[in-house]
Amino acid sequence: MSTKTTSEEIVAQEPWYKYGVGFLVLEMLLAIGVSIYSLYMAFNGIGGFPGKH
Amino acid sequence: MSTNKVEQLVIATVGFFWCFLMWFSTAAFSPSIAANYHLDIKALGLLASSAIWMAPVCRIIAGWASDRFGAPKTFAFILAGCGVVSIASAYTTDYKILFIERVLVAIAGVSFVVGIQHVAQWFDSHEIGTAEGIYAGTGNVGAGMGALFLPRMFGTNYQDAFLWTGIGAIAIAVWYLVRGRAAKSTAQMELAKKHSGMRDTLFVWSRYIAIALMLAYAMSFGLEIALNAWLPGYFTRGFREAILGLGFSGVAGLQIAAGTFAAVQSFNASLFRPFSGYMSDVFQRKGWTPLPFIAKSLPYAPRLHWLGIAVIAITISMVGLTVAGMTGSLYVSVILLVVLGISISFGTGGTFALVPLLFPTRPGTAAGFIGGVSTISGIIYPLMFAAGSNIHIGYAQVALYLFLPSIVFYFWAARYERHPEEHGLMFNDLDANAAEEAA
Repeated sequence: MSTKTTSEEIVAQEPWYKYGVGFLVLEMLLAIGVSIYSLYMAFNGIGGFPGKH
Repeated sequence: MSTNKVEQLVIATVGFFWCFLMWFSTAAFSPSIAANYHLDIKALGLLASSAIWMAPVCRIIAGWASDRFGAPKTFAFILAGCGVVSIASAYTTDYKILFIERVLVAIAGVSFVVGIQHVAQWFDSHEIGTAEGIYAGTGNVGAGMGALFLPRMFGTNYQDAFLWTGIGAIAIAVWYLVRGRAAKSTAQMELAKKHSGMRDTLFVWSRYIAIALMLAYAMSFGLEIALNAWLPGYFTRGFREAILGLGFSGVAGLQIAAGTFAAVQSFNASLFRPFSGYMSDVFQRKGWTPLPFIAKSLPYAPRLHWLGIAVIAITISMVGLTVAGMTGSLYVSVILLVVLGISISFGTGGTFALVPLLFPTRPGTAAGFIGGVSTISGIIYPLMFAAGSNIHIGYAQVALYLFLPSIVFYFWAARYERHPEEHGLMFNDLDANAAEEAA
């Protein structure tokens, strides 16, 4: 993985970066999952956001 | 002692997560506290609002302190101080003293700018967006996790919750002091320390680009905390019939549904924030500069464009929320709220992917100014939402009267193709030397 800055300088990404990106994808999926779940509960009159059932 | 940037990122993120958990732990137990002390609705509202009181001023001081003394010492001091007061509050039986103690514990929220400075001192410019995004986004989740898990773990026994969160804070403070290092090199640490004087602080405060970033953060994070306080009441009043139509009944049912819709905004705004930092890195990597007027040749110009897109998206979403509310459609309003939450995350992540790059010799002071002053907007927006002739119209009014001028100012301040940080209200000659030193 490498980065090209505006000055066309090539900078190699360090190994941590791919794990960082994986972690943020996980957080996004969590946000989407919780949103869908809690909205499904609310729109069906079953309950609400986890912890407020 | 050997360490690396990932360890420093983990320490800062855990510290920030715990601080946010402590910051909002009072709110999580407000029903129990109200029942214990027989508080009326006004006293409860005062307790809820007190969480934000210390943020504007204390964030400014914390940002400066992290440049002057280093992030580990500053963060450990905040954690330990708030931890001790939290433990004391577990044994308090007088409500007035408890109230004061919890206001002091809420100072934990100022740690945000300290961690921003810490991460900025370790990560390089090409990866700063993702690093700051992971730090801030994951840490922010502490607020939601506190609301979610503390009442389940401790029930109505808020005293035990305050005791154990305090003990946890002290333990993390010790860890931060032992393993934390202020910067990847002594020279970098000394550079930040050297530029932490009053003249340097006024220099940062008077930069047009710093003011523009502060306004962008007010449009994003300021709006996020304002909506946290405003949205439950908005849905309860604005969509009462629609919510009752879903099958909820009574005040408790309305609260559950309205709280759910409000939480979706907060949750997305927090958890999409790291993605925004990553997108800032992607813009930088690809060299994307699609917007007019904003500089295109600066080393970090693509990041300025990403933030420009974010603030435009926030403004459009706000107008959309008003339109959706006027149609009376609960479904469309909630969808727009999800879009707004994600747009807000683009703004918060995009702002702090830029701050360390614009002010490399004064990262703490800059983070303190931008992250501190902007929180005042969290108090202003709800007042404007409530002042509208119609409960739905406030979003469009805020977008028109506050956000549009902020966007115009942002585009104007970000137009310089060389050293935008050199342009400001005063001390315009001060940064030339600092830029050379940073280089």
